[in-house]
Amino acid sequence: MGWGEWISESKRYIIGTLVLGGLLALVPFAINFDMYYLLILSTALLYGVYVVAWNIIGGYAGQLDLAAFAYIGLGGIVAAELFTIYGVTPWVGMFVGAGVAMILAAAIGYPTFRFGIKDVWYALMSAALVVILNNIFHLPELLGSLDHYLPSKYGWMYLRFPTYENLYWFVTVTLVVAMLINLKISHSKTGYYLRAIREDELAAEALGIDVRKYKLLALMMYAGILGFMGYVSIVIQGTYSYHTFDSPNSITIAIMGIIGGLGSIAGAFTSAVTLKIIGEYLRSTLGASIPGIHLLIYGLLLIIVGIFKPDGLAGVWVSLKKKFVKKNVRGEKK
Amino acid sequence: MSSGKAVLEVNGVVKRFGGIIAVNKVSFKVYEGEILGLIGPNGAGKTTLFNCITGVYTPEEGHVVFLGQEITGLQPHIIAQKGILRTWQKVRPFKKMTVLDTVTVGALLRIKSVRKAREKAAEILRFIGMPEEKFDVLGREITLIEHKLVDLARALATGPKLLLLDEVAAGLRPHEMEELANVLRKINKEKGLTMIVVEHVMRFVMGLSNRLIVMHEGQKIAEGKPEEIANDPRVIEAYLGTKPL
Repeated sequence: MGWGEWISESKRYIIGTLVLGGLLALVPFAINFDMYYLLILSTALLYGVYVVAWNIIGGYAGQLDLAAFAYIGLGGIVAAELFTIYGVTPWVGMFVGAGVAMILAAAIGYPTFRFGIKDVWYALMSAALVVILNNIFHLPELLGSLDHYLPSKYGWMYLRFPTYENLYWFVTVTLVVAMLINLKISHSKTGYYLRAIREDELAAEALGIDVRKYKLLALMMYAGILGFMGYVSIVIQGTYSYHTFDSPNSITIAIMGIIGGLGSIAGAFTSAVTLKIIGEYLRSTLGASIPGIHLLIYGLLLIIVGIFKPDGLAGVWVSLKKKFVKKNVRGEKK
Repeated sequence: MSSGKAVLEVNGVVKRFGGIIAVNKVSFKVYEGEILGLIGPNGAGKTTLFNCITGVYTPEEGHVVFLGQEITGLQPHIIAQKGILRTWQKVRPFKKMTVLDTVTVGALLRIKSVRKAREKAAEILRFIGMPEEKFDVLGREITLIEHKLVDLARALATGPKLLLLDEVAAGLRPHEMEELANVLRKINKEKGLTMIVVEHVMRFVMGLSNRLIVMHEGQKIAEGKPEEIANDPRVIEAYLGTKPL
């Protein structure tokens, strides 16, 4: 679809996304630039970007990808190393990181889709990818066992700041961009094709859809966004090491995507941000006495969603709308 | 009918599964504008033959030629892009997509603009008689006959040159079968679309087809007009067993 057609047909959603971004940008003023809350909110919005990106491969294309931190870690470490060793600004490094993540996605995705690995096998394979990278980067020739620190340089040039509001705003902007990318995909031929593949691969193929090509495209777009954000993840963490390839959090991203509702941009955003904030809150209040309580809550929510609302938060919204507005409601946004 | 040019030529196609020969040297032609019925008892190899034509299986021997072009062993999506579309014995709906979105997926094969593809999809849905209020209903919320119509519509929306229908009448009630047969006749007449109809329900296929092919145990045992086929002793034997003396 051309840009003009897209803008005229999705005006409502584009404006909605921009308004949401504007409101989010005002939040630091409302909380008086409190450093602790800004850190939590930056992390929550960063997870918003991750889950919105996951929505492309998991929500539209229907592939249960558990490898988020393979791409986040690789992209982030590439940008961080370029910065630390060669002094390359992260503004360049982040794009290089995104590129490297996309190359990894292509290298993994091509044979995977070529040999028809899907469903639970795809999930296992992608989960293994994080573990493999974790082990590879643990080698003494690469990162070894040490924590690595970014150089103590601050300012917009390096995306590192003594306080968190600038980083928060940067993440807000990337979130808006990630949501607009999703919106564009959703309303384009690619979006229709990916949803068809999610629903029934064989039927999609028989309608002339090059299933492999479109799955690979979805995987690469997802990996590209994650790889780009990797550096921000490292900035928030403060350090990077082989631990940056984080298996449990890769699974958390998929869980958030499923709770949000497959293929729903608003659902992905809402689920990621609320769950991350609840998770951080629980960790800070009960974390010492009951470690891992937030994971328990995520698990319970996943079960509840699985039983009562398989379409996730987006499904709850649709059925509420159906209850109050007595007319046909679309299951998927137009 | 057989005076037109051949749209599809199947020459000596063989497909084995282990020791079983599912399709054994089957040859036939489909001519432009006709409805060819393909019948035979369970396990006769009809669906396997379909899968050999549409690229789901690659035949071990023989050739499939479509509009003068060899298509044997091509991938399913490429065969669809060339213009051979199919429907499925068991409906394969896009459950979480609306009826209109589902048909739009088909229309996007030849139309770049999503808006124009949606218009085309709506036009096709109206053509096959889907009521407008169903356009925005999800795939999981419609009835079996509506599923069959949506399956048909999304295949039609791609602008096919040959349509393969795999047991479309299966599971339908008699009046629904009649409705579907009328839709198929309308598509054949008004769009001039060539079709192959694999079918179990005799009355349905006899009334619909211009010509019939009968398969039995992987082989083609008869070919001809419906009334000839109905009285062919080999066909009766294949379906009912040997006549008692």
